[in-house]
Amino acid sequence: MKLLTKSTLYIATLSLFLFFIMGVIFFQVLRNLSISDLNRELGDLKEVVEVYLDDFWGSQIGALPGIDSLSVRPAGNIVQTEDIFGDTLKYDVKNEQYRTYRYLQYISQKGEEYLLVRIYKSTTPTDKLVERVTLMITLMVILFLAGIFILNRFMFASLWKDFFDAIEKLKRFETTKEPVILGEQDIQEFDELKQVLEVMTRRLSNDYRELKEYTDHTTHELQTPLAVIKSKTELLIQSDKLGAEEMKLLEAINTSVHQLSRLNSTLTLITRIENRQFTEKEEIALEGLLERHLELLEEHIGLKRIVLKKHYQDGGKTLFMDQGLADLLVANLLKNAIVHNIEGGCIELETGPQSLVIRNDGPPLEFNQEELFTRFVRNTRRTGSFGLGLSLVKKVCEYYNFIIEYSFDSQKHTFIIQFPD
Amino acid sequence: MLFCFKSKGMQILIVEDEASLMESMVSYLGLEGFKCEQASDFRTGVGMLDRHDYLCMLIDLNLPDGDGLDLVKLARENKSESGIIIISARNAIEERVAGLEAGADDYLVKPFHLSELVARVHSVARRTHMDGGEVLRFGAIRVEPEEHTCFVDDKPVDLTRKELDLLLYFMANRNRVVTKEGIADYLWGEYGGDYGSYDFVYTHLKNMRRKLVDVGCPDYVRNIYGVGYKFSLD
Repeated sequence: MKLLTKSTLYIATLSLFLFFIMGVIFFQVLRNLSISDLNRELGDLKEVVEVYLDDFWGSQIGALPGIDSLSVRPAGNIVQTEDIFGDTLKYDVKNEQYRTYRYLQYISQKGEEYLLVRIYKSTTPTDKLVERVTLMITLMVILFLAGIFILNRFMFASLWKDFFDAIEKLKRFETTKEPVILGEQDIQEFDELKQVLEVMTRRLSNDYRELKEYTDHTTHELQTPLAVIKSKTELLIQSDKLGAEEMKLLEAINTSVHQLSRLNSTLTLITRIENRQFTEKEEIALEGLLERHLELLEEHIGLKRIVLKKHYQDGGKTLFMDQGLADLLVANLLKNAIVHNIEGGCIELETGPQSLVIRNDGPPLEFNQEELFTRFVRNTRRTGSFGLGLSLVKKVCEYYNFIIEYSFDSQKHTFIIQFPD
Repeated sequence: MLFCFKSKGMQILIVEDEASLMESMVSYLGLEGFKCEQASDFRTGVGMLDRHDYLCMLIDLNLPDGDGLDLVKLARENKSESGIIIISARNAIEERVAGLEAGADDYLVKPFHLSELVARVHSVARRTHMDGGEVLRFGAIRVEPEEHTCFVDDKPVDLTRKELDLLLYFMANRNRVVTKEGIADYLWGEYGGDYGSYDFVYTHLKNMRRKLVDVGCPDYVRNIYGVGYKFSLD
C-alpha cells in the first residue's frame, strides 16, 4: 500500500469515527434542549388555560393563542397529582396526516368537578429545526473531510518529494553504482536520510569498484602464470629426450594446471555474478536455448547411450536475461544431468508456461540434499570436478529471482526452475 | 610446409608483455616454421604494425602502456589485411564482442594450449589469405576444408564435422605431441573439460582413425606415453 493511501485511510477512519460520535451527541443535546423548551412553553400555557377554564368552563370553547389543541373532559376516577408530559400522534384534519405532538396532562378542580386537561403543542417546527441543523453539520463534515484530503494530497506531494527523489536515485544506483547525491534538504529527518544514504552508497560504490578491480587483477595475475606453466609444459612434452617416467610427471602437471585454470575461471564467473556485473538483457527462447546446448552435448549424450524425452509446451517460453548467463544455466543443468546419469539412462526435459523441469536417472546423492547447491560439494568418486556447476546454476537463479527446487524419487533426480512473471 | 602462403611470408607479429609466455609462443610457432616479430609493449607494437605484411598478428589486450584493442583498431585503420587473434586473460562475452567488433578475427582466452594457438593461426590465415578452394595434404590424406571433404588416395572418406575438425587440428600440429585436454578444448570449447573423463575424445579419435585406416590410409596417430598423441609420417 502506498504511503499516501495508507495515511489517507487512517485520517478518514479516525475522522469518520469522531464525527459520528460527535454527531450523535450533538443530536441528543439538541433534542433535549428543544424538548425542555416545549415543556416550559406548555407550563406557561397551563396558566392561560386555567384562567380560561375559570372564566368559560361550560360555555363554548374558542381558539386560544399558542395552543395547537386542547382537550378537556371529566377526570372520572383517574387520580393524578402531578403534571405529566408526553409525546403522541394526532391526526391533523387540515393536512390529512398524523403529526407528532408534545402534551401536558393535569387534573383541574373546578368547583366540585375534576377535569382531565391535555394541552397539545405541535413538535413539527422544532423537528424541522433539528433536521436543518443536522443537515448543515453533515455538510460541514463532508466539506471538512474533502478539505483534509486535498490538503493531505498537496502537503504529501510537497513534503515527501525529496523522499521519492531519493528512492528514484537509489533505484538507479543498482545499475550505475555511482554514489547517490541528493540536493539540499530543509526537513531535518530527510537531511539525516540524505547523509546516511550518501555515506552508505559512497562506501558501496567504493567496495564495488575495489572488488571489481580485485577480480580483474586476480584473474589477470593468475591467468598469466597459468598460461606460462601451461605453455612450458606443452613445449617440454615436444622434447625427444624424455622417457616414459618424465612424460608421466608432465602429464600430472598438465592435468593439474588444466584443472586449476578451469577452477580460476569458474570462480571468477561466480564473483562476477555476485557483483551483479551482468546487466544486459535480451529475449531468449527457452526451447531454442535447450536445443542448441543439446546439439553441443550430442557426443556426450551418445557416449552414455542416454535417451532424451522432450515435452515442450506449445508457443514456447521466452526468458528475458543475459545471453551468457542463460547459456551458463542451461549448460550446467544439462551437463549435470549427463554426468550423473547411468549408462543407457534417461533425461526428461519439460517446459511449462512458467517452468523448466529437468529429470535424469542416477544413483542417490552421497551427501545431504541441502548441500547440493553449495560450492565444492560433490560425489567423492568423481575426480576432475569441483562441484561448482550447480552452485553457478543457483547463483544465476538468484540473480533473476528464479526459484530452483531439487527432489529425488525412484532413482530419478528432478530439478524444477520456476520463472517469475 | 603444410600451407603455402605464396603472397605472404610466414611472419607473425606477437604483442605480449609477459616475456615467458612470449618465449613459449615464439618457440612453438618456430617449430611450425613461422617467423615471429616480438613487441613487449604498446609503443613498440605500434611501430611494428607496418614493418611487414604479417600473416597473422597475436595481440594481448592488457599491455603496460596501452590497450591492445586500440592496436587492433589501428591495424584495421591502416588497412592491414593480416589475420588478427586477440590473446587475453579477460573472458567476458562483452570483451570478446568488443574484440571482434574492433576487427579481430579470433579471440583466445589465456591460458591456452599452444597447439590450439597454432590451429587457430592456420585457420585465420586460411580465412584471410586464401580465396577458398585450397587443398591440404598430409601423406596419403587430402582435405578440402571449404568443402568439408577428405580423401585418401582419391577415395572419399566420410568424416563427421567433429572428426574433420580433429583431423585438421592434427594436421596443423603435425609432428607435435598434442594433449587430450588440448583436443577437448579445441573441439568443444567450454564443454571440453569438467567432465572428469575424456572418453568422448577417445571415441572421436578412435572413429576417425578407423575410418581412415578402412580406406587404406596408414595410421599416422601415435599414442605418446598416455600424455597425448602425435600425428606424423614416421
